[in-house]
Amino acid sequence: MARYEIQISSERCTGCLRCALACSDLYSKSFNPSVSRIQVVVLDADWSIDFSDDCNECGVCVDHCFYGAMQKTRREGGG
Amino acid sequence: MIRGGFAGRVLHVDLTRGVVEAEPLDDDLARDFIGGLGLSAKLAYQAIEPGTDAFSPDNPIVLGAGPLVGTNLPSASRVFAVTKLPTSHSIGWCGGGGASFGYLLKNAGYDHVLIKGRADRPVRLEITDEGAALRDASSLWGLGVDETCEALWREAGRPLGVICMGQAGEHLVRFSMAFIDRISTLGRGGLGAVMGAKNLKAITARGARGIEVADKKRYRRSSRAFLQKIREYPYLKESQDLGLVKSFPIIPRETYEGMKKRRISCVSCPVGCKDLVEIPDGPLRGFEKHSSSVVNLYTPVLYGFRDYRESIKCMASIDSYGLDMFEFFGVMSFAKALSDHGVISGEILEAEIALDSLQSMETWARKVSYREGLGEVLADGFEGILKEFGEGAEPLAPAVIKGMHPYAGPGSALPWNLFGTMELGQVLDPRGPHVGSGGSPTYFARRPLEVSPRHLRRMGAPEEAFERILPALGSPGGKPGLGVGRLLRYSHRWFSILGSLGICARAGINRFYDASLCAQFYETVTGIETDLAELGRRADRVWTLLRMASVREGLGRKDEMLPQKWFEAPGFKNYVTEEPLTREEAEQMIEDYYDEWGWDRRSGVPTARRLKELGLTMDGSASE
Repeated sequence: MARYEIQISSERCTGCLRCALACSDLYSKSFNPSVSRIQVVVLDADWSIDFSDDCNECGVCVDHCFYGAMQKTRREGGG
Repeated sequence: MIRGGFAGRVLHVDLTRGVVEAEPLDDDLARDFIGGLGLSAKLAYQAIEPGTDAFSPDNPIVLGAGPLVGTNLPSASRVFAVTKLPTSHSIGWCGGGGASFGYLLKNAGYDHVLIKGRADRPVRLEITDEGAALRDASSLWGLGVDETCEALWREAGRPLGVICMGQAGEHLVRFSMAFIDRISTLGRGGLGAVMGAKNLKAITARGARGIEVADKKRYRRSSRAFLQKIREYPYLKESQDLGLVKSFPIIPRETYEGMKKRRISCVSCPVGCKDLVEIPDGPLRGFEKHSSSVVNLYTPVLYGFRDYRESIKCMASIDSYGLDMFEFFGVMSFAKALSDHGVISGEILEAEIALDSLQSMETWARKVSYREGLGEVLADGFEGILKEFGEGAEPLAPAVIKGMHPYAGPGSALPWNLFGTMELGQVLDPRGPHVGSGGSPTYFARRPLEVSPRHLRRMGAPEEAFERILPALGSPGGKPGLGVGRLLRYSHRWFSILGSLGICARAGINRFYDASLCAQFYETVTGIETDLAELGRRADRVWTLLRMASVREGLGRKDEMLPQKWFEAPGFKNYVTEEPLTREEAEQMIEDYYDEWGWDRRSGVPTARRLKELGLTMDGSASE
């Protein structure tokens, strides 16, 4: 599986959780943002996007973002 | 039978006894009424005794999120509440973009929540995947909507879906709303006050059970193609950047861009339309406001505010008290007219009513929300004012339908003058005038009739109805017309489909869906065999059941009266000819609407034949 470096532009994130829905669907076989490997934490005006240690940088989260809040660059030597 | 989509349980809450119990979802009911709006309506119909007062402990609130909520289908996040409403006295629905509440309710393991009774002290209903409980909410009582959400998030962290009401709900203001995550509204009709009557300050949801789909392979294939279609929409970026300002350009773009701080979406939505704005300059510089749309923050401007920054500040107060902005300004316009004509004067008036003044409107928003002085009367809306001031008040009243002020039309906030489905829908929706369910090609006026057949197919209207909806379209020498009443019948069916599945009805997203696709997604997600015809039939059953609920309450044609003000200058215009709309024309549209539904064209009561066709019995149960 290809691996990607993922850049975050959190100011463009709208909190739609499409990234976390896609990740959980792929890895936990159900739509369940709470167990996703990407965690979007909605705060007051700013919010954070973090990845858990078991994220394998597959980039499915980026593929499902409609708002340009994430970009991916293929890592050299990655699968 | 059901293999996906649904969480599979209904939470029953008795606030009087302090008991919460989970029951398995009835598969047959879920199939017959689709879910979401439809199943909420069904559960409410079963639970409400005819004649129950909206503020009685016996009046239940039924919440629901449809079977697609929690998946990643675009904008499948809608949440509905059905209850007896205190303004229209009908069993009506309130619906909103579910923000995070819908998916968290489903992930906690519930599709619906049925709340009855009255708590003996302020409570919050806490719903998690480990169970549900009633928590003391004394510390939240007296807080506004924003403060309540913030307090709950501070205490419990996020994600946490929150439905709550403000001080207006606590004081049973008949036009108070409930809010979801402070950015979405369970709006017009008075749900906030129904919560207040139950001492129910808030409902919170959190869970991590996950939502599964029945046919994963098919789901992936069809959702991928669908998402690609949205990505290729040429105005996608513009829609995302501008939100509702794109469709309602009442705010200059540069002004909007100067205050826009963040776009906010409901979960799964690719064209988010909620706003966080910050006032960029002036004495209110740095003031922030979350809103269901920045367009709503301009409502006070429509009533005379000259400074949009003061308008935002005013809306922050109105929203935080949990007031319905259209109704608040409608009621205050009426009170102003009564004051100008001396019907209200002297000591009763207490403070000047100036619709264009921040200070005045904030003062009155508070008085209404806390029922202080004259606010005690105004808090009961038009019904309360007319009761208090009697015959002297009546001629000064603005247009009123089912106890509420229409939001669109002559003398209303949105002075649209072409009479299409949105406008007629204000009379024919069970709960009265509100934004949303009457969407159609007439949503944005002056869309050419030639595009209508394509749109009708998308909504799932049968081809045999096209000629009735669009008489003489395409016939040489014929004079094209638009059967607004007949078209509205199919708009209401389309709304029932979207709402029952859990898809947002806002035009910015529902444009991508069509009824066939909806049937396909429903079948794929739930495993319930469904084609277009069957989904349409079930949706017809849902809207007809809501009609039966009104009939059972003694409501009908006599309550669906067209306001006389609509026929006085400047009045409405015919959608096609742009000639002044006559009462006779509009009355005909109402009869056409009933007729197209297969209801009695005079009384609007569903006929026995129609009920049989829909598999509905007189007691509202389905017999598939």
